[in-house]
Amino acid sequence: MVRRLVNRNSVAITGAIIGLFSLPFGWLTLKSSRLAAGTGLNLWEAVGWEGATVLLVLWHACLILSLSGKSRRRSIILGIAANSILVITFLFAGLAANHLIEQAAPFARVSLSAGIWITLAATYILIFASRQRLQDSRAWRNLISWGGLVIVITLLFTGWFNDLSIVQEFTGREARFQQELLQHIFLFGGSVTAGTLIGIPLGIWAVRSKRAEKPIFFIANITQTIPSLALFGLLIAPLSALSFAFPLLREIGIRGVGPTPAIIALVIYSLLPIVRNTFVSLRQLDPAVIDAGLGMGMNRRQVFRRLEVPLAAPLILEGVRIASVQSVGLTALAALIGAGGLGWFVFQGLGQAAPDLIILGAIPIIVLALVVDAVMRTLVRLATPKGLAGGEP
Amino acid sequence: MIRLEHVTKVYGETVAVNDLSIEIEKGEVCILIGPSGCGKTTTLRVTNRLLEPTSGHIFIDGRDICQIRPERLRRSIGYAIQSVGLFPHLTVAANIATVPELLHWGKDDIARRVEELLILVGLNPVEYAWKYPSQLSGGEAQRIGVARALAADPPILLMDEPFGAVDPLTRERLQAQFIRIQQELKKTVIMVTHDLDEAIRLADRIAIMELGRLVQYDTPETILSRPANKFVHDFVGTDRALKRLSRIGIGNFIRPCPSVKTSDSIKEVAAAIGSRRSVWVVNDEGRPIGWIDQSRLSESVTARETIFSGDIHEIALTNQATLREALSRMLGQGFKSIPVVDDKARLIGEITLHDVEAATADGEA
Ligand SMILES: Nc1ncnc2c1ncn2[C@@H]1O[C@H](COP(=O)(O)OP(=O)(O)O)[C@@H](O)[C@H]1O
Ligand SMILES: [Mg+2]
Repeated sequence: MVRRLVNRNSVAITGAIIGLFSLPFGWLTLKSSRLAAGTGLNLWEAVGWEGATVLLVLWHACLILSLSGKSRRRSIILGIAANSILVITFLFAGLAANHLIEQAAPFARVSLSAGIWITLAATYILIFASRQRLQDSRAWRNLISWGGLVIVITLLFTGWFNDLSIVQEFTGREARFQQELLQHIFLFGGSVTAGTLIGIPLGIWAVRSKRAEKPIFFIANITQTIPSLALFGLLIAPLSALSFAFPLLREIGIRGVGPTPAIIALVIYSLLPIVRNTFVSLRQLDPAVIDAGLGMGMNRRQVFRRLEVPLAAPLILEGVRIASVQSVGLTALAALIGAGGLGWFVFQGLGQAAPDLIILGAIPIIVLALVVDAVMRTLVRLATPKGLAGGEP
Repeated sequence: MIRLEHVTKVYGETVAVNDLSIEIEKGEVCILIGPSGCGKTTTLRVTNRLLEPTSGHIFIDGRDICQIRPERLRRSIGYAIQSVGLFPHLTVAANIATVPELLHWGKDDIARRVEELLILVGLNPVEYAWKYPSQLSGGEAQRIGVARALAADPPILLMDEPFGAVDPLTRERLQAQFIRIQQELKKTVIMVTHDLDEAIRLADRIAIMELGRLVQYDTPETILSRPANKFVHDFVGTDRALKRLSRIGIGNFIRPCPSVKTSDSIKEVAAAIGSRRSVWVVNDEGRPIGWIDQSRLSESVTARETIFSGDIHEIALTNQATLREALSRMLGQGFKSIPVVDDKARLIGEITLHDVEAATADGEA
């Protein structure tokens, strides 16, 4: 029996159970001021019994759907239900916050509490499970992946959440937010670009030369085992020394703290997936294909351009995708060594014990990672030749 | 004309090809055969400079190929590699167009050529041009491989086990197709195989190799009737008499024979049979439909009542068949003679066991 259930749709079942567990948790927190301790409101108090009933019913529906199998239709309904829960939760949260603020003292704040964050996580587990089953229909997959998120973001722009503390943390920091967002994109984008420009040639070199292969992978693997925070820290000392010794370096912005060590660390981190995938993509090429190319009279350059590049591109881009998504997250740490980025809000929030400020940094990082992932997946798909995808032309 | 002079190729300790000298006439099919690892592939690959020989020289039409740029040389030599090696990201059409594109042919010329070649290898251009290699069966892929090698109409063709990875039935068809194409195109071909029957069927000359050395280079008939040494003798096996039969067409052995119609009377049938044991029955178009045994003549009054109508398509041979096929039909059916039909399935004569035996004896002598 248990085994059959596991076979059904274990990911979706997990998501639905987590979702049900979110309900008894605190839903909103009402504080008299930004940093004051607050009083928790549970689901019933926050959204009233109507809202609570709707969510309870929807979560049960999700659980039943995921227990009853993973047919295509069930997956679509499951995805729609998960998106509905997401939208309804935030609709009610905005509404409740508005209601609470109107009745409260002037400096009062309303924050989202654990229950809502758990709900958010649970809905994304369901969405993930649902889209796994919808490989054949890009339209449904995109709708289910992005539909709820787009609605919530639209609500955000219409001011629906203006009475939530997290939005109030944002107001007054718009300029800073924009600056750190751009800095974040600059840091991870720049380092992944550099990582790609260095990593692909290294991967090619490792394939072509037996002697280079070992040391390249030795170093690339080692970098992944150094804890990221340590790597950021490790770079401070040598770079400070360098910039101290060569004032010219300091003038062009190379210092122990700031963007330089951050970018260096991020580049080093992005190398392994790119080098590894480049290496594998070229190594797994059918030697008969290269042989046929040479035998037909292609020169080395033509073999590279006409055969190796198109056949290896999808896997190499997949490496760049992994490096990008990983890098978006790691870039959060850059703020620790004064390089800025969205991590700045996180660490400020930690310093001030202001959870909503932490979240103001964390949520955009997650959304950025999702968007980068989606964009890169599209690129990988576009780069995959039809004959390799296995589908009809 | 291709001439290899004292070609040797050494890999570290292994001598892959050892002092090989061989000459292939223009328009002839030379088949390299021998046990696995005897240097067949290596021989092909030094011929288009995918490998440089350790020593020795190779001449094509009298010109030493080491003076020709490898890429140029290879574009003038069709090469079908052992594992086909179609480019998986390109359509069948683009695969075939590879060499013409390298030679900067015009778009229209290439399109026309692709269509022509697909028809030549027996695949419908409309259906196959836009397929990808992953959508082809093994036999189809090998045919595309051959079409790709033929694309720029090279005078020379190197084929490494081109019919290797397919089932016997498909292989049979591909071989027949090769014979037809070769009759039409008259390329100078070096083909590698490890299948002796294939070599006997397709080759003008067979080169038998052992451990990198050329052991015997002769016509299939000579190889079968006069093996140069014990190795060749063992290699061609004890059934070489039978194998030789597959080199001999039945054309010279067809004898005229009597036939009767279903409407003929017993008297006419008896006259036709004479001292024979049986007579073939044909319909109004002259196509064989059965036979009448002498032993049953007395029982009936018309031919219609005495006829044995077997499945004549399984019995009759076309005039392109070989003596080996004739013999196998006779043994299979238990007949001492087999009817032969023309390409419109009309009876033109018969071939007898006695003649097959005589042909075998001739060869042994
Ligand atoms: N690249 C190579 N390096 C070392 N030895 C090789 C190489 N290619 C072929 N050989 C050796 O050379 C011999 C002949 O190989 P090959 O020409 O491929 O044989 P065949 O095609 O007749 O099976 C074999 O013993 C094989 O192991
Ligand atoms: Mg071989």
